Amino acid sequence: MTDQPKWGLVIDMDRCNGCTVCITACSMENNVPYVGEDDAGYGRSMQWIRVERYWEGEYPNLVVRFMPVMCQQCGVAPCEPVCPVYATLHSEAEQINLQVYNRCVGTRYCGNNCPYVVRQFNWFDYSSDMPEPLNNQFNPDVTVRRRGVMEKCTFCIQRIRRAEETANAEGRELQDGEFEPACAQACPSDAIVFGLLSNPDSQVSHLVRSARSQRLLLEELGTEPRVIYLKSERGLRS
Amino acid sequence: MTANSVPLPQTRAEEDPHQHLLLDPRPREEMNHMVMEAMTATSRPYWVVIGILATLVAVCLFGAWLYMIIKGMGVAGIRRPTYWGMFITNFVFWIGISHSGTFVSAILRVFKAEFRRPITRAAELMTAFGLAAAGLYPLIHLGRVWLAYWIIPYPNQRWLWPNFRSPLTWDMIAITTYLLSSLMYIYLPLIPDLAMARDRSVGWRYKLYRGMALGWRGTEAEWFRLRTAIQIFAFAIIPVMFSVHTIVSWDFAVTKTPGWHSSIFGPFFVVGAIYSGVSAVAMILSLIRGSMLNMKYFIREEHFDALGKLMLVFSFTWTYFYFNEYLLAWYGGDQSDFYVWNALTRGPYMWLWLLMLFLNIAVPWLTLWNKRVRRNPWLLFAIGFMINLGMYIERYLIVPLMITRSRFPFVWDNYSPRIELVMSVGTLSLFLLLYALASRLIPLIPVWEVQEGQLAFRMRRIGKMEVPSVSEIE
Amino acid sequence: MSEGAIHLALFKEIDPAVKAIDTLRGLGIPDQDMSIISGVPYSDRMLGRPMSWTLVPKLAAAGFILGMLIGVVLNLGTPLQYPIHVGGMPLISIPTSLVLTFEFSMLGLLAFTFLGVVWESAFPSFGPKEYHPGISDGQIAVVFTCPPEVHIQVHQSLEALGASWVHRTEAVDI
Repeated sequence: MTDQPKWGLVIDMDRCNGCTVCITACSMENNVPYVGEDDAGYGRSMQWIRVERYWEGEYPNLVVRFMPVMCQQCGVAPCEPVCPVYATLHSEAEQINLQVYNRCVGTRYCGNNCPYVVRQFNWFDYSSDMPEPLNNQFNPDVTVRRRGVMEKCTFCIQRIRRAEETANAEGRELQDGEFEPACAQACPSDAIVFGLLSNPDSQVSHLVRSARSQRLLLEELGTEPRVIYLKSERGLRS
Repeated sequence: MTANSVPLPQTRAEEDPHQHLLLDPRPREEMNHMVMEAMTATSRPYWVVIGILATLVAVCLFGAWLYMIIKGMGVAGIRRPTYWGMFITNFVFWIGISHSGTFVSAILRVFKAEFRRPITRAAELMTAFGLAAAGLYPLIHLGRVWLAYWIIPYPNQRWLWPNFRSPLTWDMIAITTYLLSSLMYIYLPLIPDLAMARDRSVGWRYKLYRGMALGWRGTEAEWFRLRTAIQIFAFAIIPVMFSVHTIVSWDFAVTKTPGWHSSIFGPFFVVGAIYSGVSAVAMILSLIRGSMLNMKYFIREEHFDALGKLMLVFSFTWTYFYFNEYLLAWYGGDQSDFYVWNALTRGPYMWLWLLMLFLNIAVPWLTLWNKRVRRNPWLLFAIGFMINLGMYIERYLIVPLMITRSRFPFVWDNYSPRIELVMSVGTLSLFLLLYALASRLIPLIPVWEVQEGQLAFRMRRIGKMEVPSVSEIE
Repeated sequence: MSEGAIHLALFKEIDPAVKAIDTLRGLGIPDQDMSIISGVPYSDRMLGRPMSWTLVPKLAAAGFILGMLIGVVLNLGTPLQYPIHVGGMPLISIPTSLVLTFEFSMLGLLAFTFLGVVWESAFPSFGPKEYHPGISDGQIAVVFTCPPEVHIQVHQSLEALGASWVHRTEAVDI
């Protein structure tokens, strides 16, 4: 039933310092709308990555650890079979979970069934309410979503497609590290590494095989996520 | 104490055979006249009520819905992680109400419980209108409702069919099946009563009933076909009824959400639906009896007595299922389950949880064992209302409040409804409006079934006691 | 159908009506020239009449099969025609197919039952028919074709049994 993973993300929780530049870069790249102060306060911010903070110890020996969580692109994604209109599917070629904005009718069943709670919903027409000239910042490679549509991290599928098409046009194989999603590109401490898990020579594969202990989030649920977290040597309690 | 100080059974009031509708026959013309009079009498208070309900429906339901379509789902109270809120709670609640009719008119018919005879149509109308109210909610809660037709399976040029593995598609087909079946099941036994109304009406009512009665006369062949069809419906609509609420429960049970992923949800929801449905039937019957002419002849204390017993039995069954859920979550130790139930039983929602337990368990268990309470229509109205409120809270605890405690405490959040409250009021008004209009358009009591029952009942003497005796004439 | 005027006799109770049927049979009127119309259903055995038959159960079964076929085609046919992979599930998943196949089968069964009644009774039919409004008030009508030679005997014997109304009847619009 389960296919071999292809694209994967490795997140080094020792290197993550919680700066949230990944969130900003992702929002810029993928036209994630800014919902405004009131709605963000109500819990409706739509950023595709969230950086979770875990506090350990007692004052004054407090330590905080950060864990960025985005769509895990599950191999056995629970969000997929529950959509009544096939708006979220599994890409056999890229081995990631696709979200088809045009098809979504907004039942939000996928949002409920995602155990990682990484799916976002367009509660209003945030993008069309953007004052000029902020709308010039939209990335032309990515759809601007209107109200009523679910969205989530796509591993920057537009960058994947562009790199694959370029490599195809030039008649060569895709090189590891040739491109990366916006979050990996922006991360100042290289905590996010992206690549081909199916290629044993890629950087992500080396990291996965390294001596560092690692975990998959909610592995016991059998979702087979494609995001691997490298634990620090000191361990993370959660 | 001498033997003479104990009253002989015949002297007790409830034992009087004329208390029973089916032992108190009146000529058919008189019963027809009573039903027609109840149906055609519209007073000024009636029109005031219709006006208020229609305004509430137009403003609170459709007006608010239109506002939500134009602005976006954000005007509702839902937010991550509670992507489903009061809309889906209402959906489950109204589907639960809709199980009332099928229970009374199909299950009781199959078990030959003769007390069902005068109340089947009133209950079946609740099914139809409950489904009408419930069926709005899969549309209301859609983010892009103008594309809702994509869930309907039909060949199209997009090369796309809906996902038949999604419980929402199952919902749509099951509710459509149940609604159509219920409408047909109301209509079939209604035909002879429409013929009676046709024979006693003039003007627009005559035209309406003539059209709806399809030319029914009552020949042997027509009756034979009708009876055969009603038997098939009675047996076949029971599995449909069970399947509909089971499928609605699978919306929740097939997910990975802690608290929802429970194998007991199927029967638990069905039992809860019948529980709230029977209570709602008791409420509607006391309203009908209190507000329409001549209904005190047809709907009697014995019917409320029987419904009260059913309410008590289903209260036991519901409590059994609910305790199952609670005990396993409490004992099992799965941490995500624990946090969900903790939020309900000790967290910010504890007051709701305790209120639900009081309304669903304490109220019926403390009152419905008493025959005098059961035979009182207004007491049963109050108890039925409290039970329905408790069942609504139960669905509210399950649907939005359990998903507030996901597996990642970082995204835990609470839920409080915004425009959903307004639209819930509108939905209740829609149900009541449809019911009030129907009560003056079609005869609420199936007179032919009542007469059939009266033919079957007689008194006979066993020893010193006169007992009612039923013949099986079907 | 033998020639003769169509008569309608109204009875207030079932027993005189059944006796009337026997009397008419004794006077030589065959069963297929008689028809009983009533406001509550009386079974054939109560009336002493030949068994009725109806196609409704067979139509219901046909509807069930049709619904099942539709369910099978939608659940098993469409994923093969337009394959879309979701959630690690196989394209043809029998457990999920059973749900909708059941629903469509039941819908077929019930819809065909209803349509069977309507079709077999030739509903809606608004043309002129033998009827009397007293029937919906609980009276039982015996409608029969009366050959002219037994006309007087029929009237006498039915009135002796307590018929409230025995007349030649023209078909009325109902």
